[in-house]
Amino acid sequence: MSFTEQFLTLFRKETYITVNASLAVIILIIFVYFALFSPAKNNYPFTCIHEELTGEPCLSCGLSHSFSLIIKGRITEAYDWNPNGIRIFLFFLGQLFFRVVFSYYYIVAESIRKQLIIYDITGSCFMFLLSFLPFITYLF
Amino acid sequence: MEETKKTSAHAIGTAALITGIITFVLAVIPCVGIIAIIPGIITIVLAVIGLTQASRDNSPLTLLISSLVIGIVAFLISFSQIFVTTRLVRHTDKLPREIRETIKDIHDEVVKDLEQSKVNIRIESNGEVVEIQTGTDNKEIKLKQLEELEKTDKTKTDSLPEK
Repeated sequence: MSFTEQFLTLFRKETYITVNASLAVIILIIFVYFALFSPAKNNYPFTCIHEELTGEPCLSCGLSHSFSLIIKGRITEAYDWNPNGIRIFLFFLGQLFFRVVFSYYYIVAESIRKQLIIYDITGSCFMFLLSFLPFITYLF
Repeated sequence: MEETKKTSAHAIGTAALITGIITFVLAVIPCVGIIAIIPGIITIVLAVIGLTQASRDNSPLTLLISSLVIGIVAFLISFSQIFVTTRLVRHTDKLPREIRETIKDIHDEVVKDLEQSKVNIRIESNGEVVEIQTGTDNKEIKLKQLEELEKTDKTKTDSLPEK
């Protein structure tokens, strides 16, 4: 059985593979979305409620611009728009990498499947806390 | 038939887990997180439906319970953003009030300055000179003078003399 056939069979049967594939597709859609919108034209469909009401930027303001600029390779400008943009982007990029790598090893190495899930959950939680820490501390 | 029911509960659980994870990530972003209330509710509803089906069919509940927990936590985080928004609204209500007070202060100061100042208006027309002086010291006198001037001027016409 080829790798693709194995993947498709497990996609239907195994929840882990279904979740991984779905999340990978969603992350890719997010990247495409930010690549489509231009930071120069400022044609993003969503605006910040905080800035609309107060005129002052909030902690998440400029994230869309920052993401678009990172995709276009303009890292310094992205940092200027939102200093947290790079770490949030790295979280999504890391998650995409995790989904692909963990899915691959889940299909290939049958004996360590449970361990892989535990590593994935631990790693993802740690990555999430590390990336979203400024937002979490701001909220609570 | 039994297998189909198990598959549907499993599919619902998977959908609830994916929605829950997305909701969780979305919920912690300030200002944007309030939107996550809707997918949070969807996650909880899906997980509950899946749990009901799974408990009837005796299928595994781990996936559904984990999606329900993620959904509830994400919903609570998202719901807490309402308080952040309330804080914002209070802040914005404070801003226009401050602006209104500042404008009123400036208005009062300008009116006060104008009342205290002396203004001289001098009009020259065909050799006639009319001079109006205003000030706080002799306001009433000046008003009377102005009235008298208006009475005397009533006889005169503003039109140009005929050739």
